[in-house]
Amino acid sequence: MTEEYAIELQNVGKKFKVRGLRDRTLKSVVLDLVSGRWRGPSEFWALKDVDFKVVRGETLGIIGSNGAGKSTLLSLITGTFRPTAGSIHTHGKVSSLLELGAGFHPDLSGRENVFLYGAIMGLSREQVNRRFDAIVEFAGLSEWIDEPVKHYSSGMYVRLGFAVAVEVDPDILLIDEVLSVGDAVFQRKCMDKMEEFRRKGKTMLIISHDLSAVMAVSDRVLFLDEGTVHGLGVPSATVEAYQSLVRKKEVEGKKRVWGTEEVVISDVEFRDGQGAVADTFGFGDPLVVRISYKAEHRIERPIFGFAICDPAGRVIYGSNTQIAGKDIASIDGEGAIELRIERLILARGRYVVSFSIHSWDHKINYYRLENAFPIGISCNEDFEGCHMSCTWSG
Amino acid sequence: MFTERLSDVYEHRGLLWILVVRNIKIRYKRSVLGFFWSLLNPLFFIAVYSTFLKLLSVKFRTDDPLYLPMLVIGIFVWQFMALCLGDSLYAVVGNSSLVKKAAFPRVILPISMVLANLLNFLLSLIILIGYLLIIDADFSRLYLLPLLVLTQCALCLGLSLIISALNVFFRDIEHLLGVLLLAWFFLTPIIYPFANIPDEYQRLSFLNPMTGIVTAYRMVFLTTDIMAPRLATMSMGIAWITCIVGLIVFEWLQPRFGEEL
Repeated sequence: MTEEYAIELQNVGKKFKVRGLRDRTLKSVVLDLVSGRWRGPSEFWALKDVDFKVVRGETLGIIGSNGAGKSTLLSLITGTFRPTAGSIHTHGKVSSLLELGAGFHPDLSGRENVFLYGAIMGLSREQVNRRFDAIVEFAGLSEWIDEPVKHYSSGMYVRLGFAVAVEVDPDILLIDEVLSVGDAVFQRKCMDKMEEFRRKGKTMLIISHDLSAVMAVSDRVLFLDEGTVHGLGVPSATVEAYQSLVRKKEVEGKKRVWGTEEVVISDVEFRDGQGAVADTFGFGDPLVVRISYKAEHRIERPIFGFAICDPAGRVIYGSNTQIAGKDIASIDGEGAIELRIERLILARGRYVVSFSIHSWDHKINYYRLENAFPIGISCNEDFEGCHMSCTWSG
Repeated sequence: MFTERLSDVYEHRGLLWILVVRNIKIRYKRSVLGFFWSLLNPLFFIAVYSTFLKLLSVKFRTDDPLYLPMLVIGIFVWQFMALCLGDSLYAVVGNSSLVKKAAFPRVILPISMVLANLLNFLLSLIILIGYLLIIDADFSRLYLLPLLVLTQCALCLGLSLIISALNVFFRDIEHLLGVLLLAWFFLTPIIYPFANIPDEYQRLSFLNPMTGIVTAYRMVFLTTDIMAPRLATMSMGIAWITCIVGLIVFEWLQPRFGEEL
């Protein structure tokens, strides 16, 4: 094959009909038609304007929250769904690991199911025969292969499904959330198998919520949210964009704004040491926050404060201008103040930053902006909480 | 479209065969008598009908020596159809995980189900022929049998395609089918000879493809009960038309299966 691309999607959209609680039956359809209540089902777009190409031999990770349209996308590429809009072209044999063991019949033995599943995946009887031992060996089920699969554990089920699916030797392999099933030994085997596929120049699309695994195996990452592409590119940057969105969504419900509003915080900007706007920082990096405010009238000796909390809401660090010994005589109208943290010595993870403006005697809260700004810290060192230099001796 | 689909199915013949074997295996899994049920069932029907019709002393001549072989043929032939249609309800719906997750020509599902029932029927046909040998039936027209079986398969497939596809969208079909089958059973000359149909309804009765098929089976095995060949041909023509309609309906509906299930 000479095509440069293995998969090409052009403005692909997929619309689903939502019928609400009521199931459609012959009766309901007839009644609706007779009474003129026929409205048709409501609709929603699971995917919209999805447009990308996957180069032959590339491994593309697909990330996004639940319901972002990831599995719908793979179903469209597999061909079980038809796009409502746009077009999809695949070049080469596609094998999908969408739901491992789908099509296994519980009453049939593992052996019979291997042949059935192989046939579904497009293998001939001889091909399965030839690879049968390898399949059973890979799944680690030699002793169980003649048992009906209904006696299998869910792990065994998935292992057998994966073992057959990788024997198909496809040009394009679609994998949906397979990395997270099975025990550690089996996961290792899966990763090895995927590495082998990569070396052989196969094209792979991998959906996973295990972001570090996605970064490890992907050449590029596609980030979907609510059915649209939010990013496609270098794994680390795309994963970061996704994490940033996750953090934003996480704080959305927790955000609280209150106070007398005699002065309000009109804008907050987070920048890194180079002065670029950022919301992800490395361990030990500086953080510069510019807080813009707007006061209704002259306010004497206000205090600006901040707090960094972990996702559970525990304060990791907090301080204010009063503690820092910065006495602000008064503010009036619009203005800005800058907070600089020299070194962020926090463990890797997600944090939320809150800000406040209150009176010198702490009696009046002018403005409090709580749980409003999520940030992420990346760190290579393993520790928890706030970093302290420590040594052990014995 | 049809040639394209045909080569598609041919390409998946391995899967088709495995599904046929699976359907047969599953049917008799964990039943002690296994395949014999497909013989015992019609035998019970025959016993029940012949006994009760005698007791009720109905108008047609149940004491005719040919009544019993006629009933036996009718019930075996009907059984093939009834089992097919019953299974067809679940041909697609019962394989929802496959339909949702794997790409293959969907039409394979009802086809494999009809083929599994055909194998079953062919086996029971051996028993039927054995019985007919005992009663010294006339086998001079046996060469017509393959064409007849094929025609019945076409009818079974056509209806199975429609039922299996419609049941994806309207589960009412499950409840409707039993009643419709019962009515159809009595509208078809199975427990009564064709000759018992009033003259003015005989032509009409051939619009029912099963009338043509059942009477043709009897024509092959028993020299009596010969009916108008032209009308029988029309009846069988309807069977083939049903098959084509079924294929069209199924192909029209199948793109939406994945989402509907």
